[in-house]
Amino acid sequence: MPVLGLDNVTFGYGSGSERYEVLRDASLAIEKNEFVAVIGFSGSGKSTLMALLAGLEKPDVGEVRLDGNAKSEPGPERGIVFQNYSLLPWLSVFENINIAVRKVFPEMSRSERRDYVQKYVDLVTLTGSESKKPHELSGGMRQRLSLARTLSMQPEVLLLDEPLSALDALTRAVLQDEIIRLWEEDRRTVVMITNDVDEAVLMADRIVPLTPGPSASFGPSFEVTLPRPRDRATLNFDPDFKHLRNRVTSYMLSINDESKTLRPTIEYPLPDLQPVLPSQRRRAVRTSA
Amino acid sequence: MKYKILKVIDVSGLTFLTPVVRLCYGEEPQKQWREIARFIGAPLVAFVVFLGLWTVLAPKHRTKSGEVPTPAVVLESANDIWKFHLRENAKEHAYSMTGEERQAQLAEAQERLAKLPPYEAAAAKKVAEANEARAAAVTAALEPLQQQYDERQAEIAAAQAARESDLLKQAAGLESASVDEKQAYLAAVASHLAAVDDERDELQELKGQQTEVRSQPFAPLAAALRTQTKIAEEKQFLTKLIEQLDRANRAQKATRQVASLRDQQKQFLASSGEDAYALAKSIDKSKRRIETTAESTYAKPYTLPMQIWRSVLCVFVGFLIGTAIAVPIGVCCGLSKTAMAALTPFIALFKPVSPIVWLPLALIIVGGFIPDPDKNPLIQWMENLPFIGWMQINPAFIASAITVALCSLWATMTNTALGVASIDKDHLNVARVLQLGFWERLFKIIIPSALPLIFAGLRISLGVGWMVLIAAELLSSSEGIGKFVWDQFNNGASDSFAKMMVVVFVVGAIGLLLDRIMIVLQRMVSFEGSVAAI
Amino acid sequence: MALDVLNLRPQSLLQGVASARSATSQALLIASMVVVSLAGCSSDAKLDLDDLDLESVAANSDAPRETPAADKADDAAPAASKQLLDVEKDSLKFGFIKLTDCAPIVIAKEKGFFSEEGLQVEVIAQPNWKTLLDNVITGELDGAHMLSGQPIAATIGIGTKAHVITAFTMDLNGNGITVSNAIWEQMQQNEPRLKDPAPSHPISAESLKPIVAEKIAAGEKLQMGMVFPVSTHNYELRYWLAAAGIHPGMYTKSDVGGRTDAEVELSVTPPPMMPATLEAGNIQGYCVGEPWNQQAVAKGIGVPVTTNYDIWKNNPEKVFGVTKSWADENPQTHLAVIKALIRAGKWLDETDDAGKLVNREEAARILSRPDYVGADYDVIKNSMTGFFYFQKTDKRAMPDFNVFFKYHCTYPWYSDGVWFLTQMRRWGQIAEPKSAEWYDEMAKKVYQPEIYKQAARMLVDEGLLAEADVPWDTDGYKEPASDFIDGVAYDGKDPLGYLKAHEIGNHQ
Repeated sequence: MPVLGLDNVTFGYGSGSERYEVLRDASLAIEKNEFVAVIGFSGSGKSTLMALLAGLEKPDVGEVRLDGNAKSEPGPERGIVFQNYSLLPWLSVFENINIAVRKVFPEMSRSERRDYVQKYVDLVTLTGSESKKPHELSGGMRQRLSLARTLSMQPEVLLLDEPLSALDALTRAVLQDEIIRLWEEDRRTVVMITNDVDEAVLMADRIVPLTPGPSASFGPSFEVTLPRPRDRATLNFDPDFKHLRNRVTSYMLSINDESKTLRPTIEYPLPDLQPVLPSQRRRAVRTSA
Repeated sequence: MKYKILKVIDVSGLTFLTPVVRLCYGEEPQKQWREIARFIGAPLVAFVVFLGLWTVLAPKHRTKSGEVPTPAVVLESANDIWKFHLRENAKEHAYSMTGEERQAQLAEAQERLAKLPPYEAAAAKKVAEANEARAAAVTAALEPLQQQYDERQAEIAAAQAARESDLLKQAAGLESASVDEKQAYLAAVASHLAAVDDERDELQELKGQQTEVRSQPFAPLAAALRTQTKIAEEKQFLTKLIEQLDRANRAQKATRQVASLRDQQKQFLASSGEDAYALAKSIDKSKRRIETTAESTYAKPYTLPMQIWRSVLCVFVGFLIGTAIAVPIGVCCGLSKTAMAALTPFIALFKPVSPIVWLPLALIIVGGFIPDPDKNPLIQWMENLPFIGWMQINPAFIASAITVALCSLWATMTNTALGVASIDKDHLNVARVLQLGFWERLFKIIIPSALPLIFAGLRISLGVGWMVLIAAELLSSSEGIGKFVWDQFNNGASDSFAKMMVVVFVVGAIGLLLDRIMIVLQRMVSFEGSVAAI
Repeated sequence: MALDVLNLRPQSLLQGVASARSATSQALLIASMVVVSLAGCSSDAKLDLDDLDLESVAANSDAPRETPAADKADDAAPAASKQLLDVEKDSLKFGFIKLTDCAPIVIAKEKGFFSEEGLQVEVIAQPNWKTLLDNVITGELDGAHMLSGQPIAATIGIGTKAHVITAFTMDLNGNGITVSNAIWEQMQQNEPRLKDPAPSHPISAESLKPIVAEKIAAGEKLQMGMVFPVSTHNYELRYWLAAAGIHPGMYTKSDVGGRTDAEVELSVTPPPMMPATLEAGNIQGYCVGEPWNQQAVAKGIGVPVTTNYDIWKNNPEKVFGVTKSWADENPQTHLAVIKALIRAGKWLDETDDAGKLVNREEAARILSRPDYVGADYDVIKNSMTGFFYFQKTDKRAMPDFNVFFKYHCTYPWYSDGVWFLTQMRRWGQIAEPKSAEWYDEMAKKVYQPEIYKQAARMLVDEGLLAEADVPWDTDGYKEPASDFIDGVAYDGKDPLGYLKAHEIGNHQ
């Protein structure tokens, strides 16, 4: 039985003539301890999918199931790491984790909790920055903190919503390794959304493509059978890796062309850039300075 | 250490001190001196220029109601205000003084008083001389003017008589004249009358010049009068001080009362019957009287420093009331669009209402709750509070505080609503994932995230409150800075404007201080990315 | 007490107060005011009173004690412990408006008459007459310096309704009517005798009449200021205008501004604003108490044309008002207050053998303190010492400009109350005609001569007042008098006849 599943889910925003359908009749089943990467173009409804999986949005038609039961409310059993970190800026690193721990493990004593939080701070190598506020951290540190907060809740399923897309290439690579390291420690179920085929192939057990929206659904999944641990340096020369990457890429390009012919307007493939919010810009300036 | 200091400076917003600190640590001296010149030197220069312009321009602007006081006069008025405060303190102290201390003070005061008469005489002489000098000067200045006036008046009278007789002559033959000639005659009469009007105006102007001369200020006389007033005030103060130390002194009064009680008690011991009853009654009365005397305090008038404290307290009480109302309502509005829709018209309606309208309403409402201030438990409780008990919190004070609250709470309310409504959706999602309950969500996520904006609102509110307070006190006659201003205005004395100028600086300084405190608080709750991180 | 550190130390009671301050310390002044001590706290030093019980007397009745005889100051106050009233309340707050006729209250405080009655009195300036009355009614103030019309109006319910009484009339006369320089010039045009540097008085409003007519013809009305709807100033200004046939307007139910049928419109302006309002041209004249007429002369913005002494010789001006309920709860305190006020009035009117008022300069000095009237000493001195400037060139002796004691003036005469009632009726503030008995009844409700007489009797017994200073046997009505500018006789016992005698206004 899958741990987390979407059963024929249709979801859209608005109603009547203004309705914009994001997902139509999408089904997905994620098995226990599986690392699934959902890959799709920007605007294909990846974040909406994540919100549905986390329970932050309710499907119009169909169901989201957790351990076989329909779930309509979010909860700590599905730990989500948001694309833009969602740290509470008025709390320090320690407090940001502590607020989650306190809620999920109310039975812990004060000192137990402190040790527990410290463990997760150490886990994501933020030791020494406990009393810093989020705005004093670099982008990578923030994402690690966000990850630590989510992991500290010990979720059944870890949902990663493009966790690395806002980071520069180097940090991104470091964090990829780190996430895999953490995952390999307890082999939790992970759903990660990404727009990077390399990243998907490098990290996941299975890659599920999302067809371009509107009314997106899932394409056929690609199993990644590369042995673990996967080494970034050698992988680039691995024929299986190359082959898989090419298959996924060409599939993605084909569904994109298909959607283009269907669509009345022509969409130019643009580099995948995330909108940078003013606060992030300032942050970026600060970090670079 | 250096960075700690710099951080404190940064948080407190006193950034103009940064170059000074850096200079002390020998960091890039040249750059620091430039910075000092810019951030400390420039404001100082501006202030000096301001003072200079003020000193030069003030005496030039004079209306009949008074003149703009120069900085020197304002400073002197500040000194007078301070002196008044010290004198009242001295009197208060004298009232409760006892023993040798009292004797010593009494002797000193009497000695001082005894020294005054020669000064008094000298001052009176000076005033008389100045008066004479002034009279002489005025007469001298008036004489040519009067002469000119008389001459001109005679000329005009002659000219008018001549024109009149001329016209009369013309009129004699008018019957047989042509229509044109009659027309011309009418015109001639009209021009004559117009000339008469002009001539009257001219004379009046000449008269006006004389009035001007009479009302010219005469500096030596003003100075002499000031000295005389100073001596008279000193005399009055010393006389009253001696009275407070001697006849009206609390211990002295009580001693007399005790002596009379002893007499009564002695008589009582030797009496019986109706007399004994009467004496027993009066003994009881006397005992009570001694107790009241022992507890009595000098009825001291409010001085400006006391009024300042009372105003500051009033604005804080009003500010706290306003905050207690504004924040919960603001949170409701921010959380619920329905509440926002329901309350927006009220906010829009009440926000622009002036304190002058709120105050009478507040007075009536407070008066309704506190019909008899002397016996009200709240008022009695506040009278016994440490530090603020002496301020005599009364309904007028409470009404002023409520007015401050009603006028100032809107900024906090709208800012709170905005802060709560504009909370980052991701933060709310965090709360949902953590399954936080309503109150946890409110206190752990919503309010902290809205705090910077709430504090920005509070800062505006406090500023508004401080501004409104002066008007409220002025109307309610609640003792405070506003009352001081109104009293000065009512006094209409020659130094009243100057005293009001002193208040301008006091009010400004306190307003600045309050604002700075709020900025520091605001910085402390602000976080990166919050709208109000100024 | 820790706060005393910030207070003046006893040793330095006089330091700093008298010594001249250096320029630098002056500069620090404004800053130091902001952070100055909580100086209002009273000292905690308690009297070291021995056990007051009988045993101590019985045990050592011969033991030497510090007796008051040792203190020479006690000779000056023989009455202090002799006949002290058992006051219900010993710390009082009285309100006043910054006018020189608040003098009896201020003097009673400053000359120690209150404290000799065992009272600690705080004297607090009020912003306007309305607030003053409200503060008395709410109990915020124990009593106040009031316009004569105020207790009456409050009692019969014109404006705020409350039973306010008075047992003490504070003064006679003291008001003036001032017109702007422009109006004065026009009046001079109309009546050449006014061109004289010191024209003979009284000056009636006759010479104002053509100006009023001219204004009306031009579609305007002359505007004049007075201080309060039930003030003496309002009635005096109306009387002066009406005596010359100028209609000052009637109050009606729908016109509480009193402008119906007006040829000259009167409006309320606070006394201190009068000169400025006149200078700004919003009003062309006003009727107000001192020092605001002398201010107009001093500043050269207007000319006082007449005083109320000319309108009605020795007219009652201010009273000391308290609420009925206060007087009922504190009868002994009320008596003590009246005693002190009578003494203050007597002090103010004390003369030397030549008839010169001896204490007025000192009084003017006290009144010029900023927490009292606060105007310049010279301005206050003018009228207080019996002089009045009509123009800069026209200074006249007016010994009766302010009367605080003479002519039995402090006695609360019923006839004064009736006169104000007739004026309220005449100008429509009392909407319906009333019977003569009603006037008498209302006057007796407000004016309380019994309390006055009781207080005066005590003063006579203490040797502080002469038997002849008080009209013991009067029925409360002054003799009929015709000391008015229009010569109409006033008999307080015949208010209806008095109303009929006037042309303008209600006749019954």
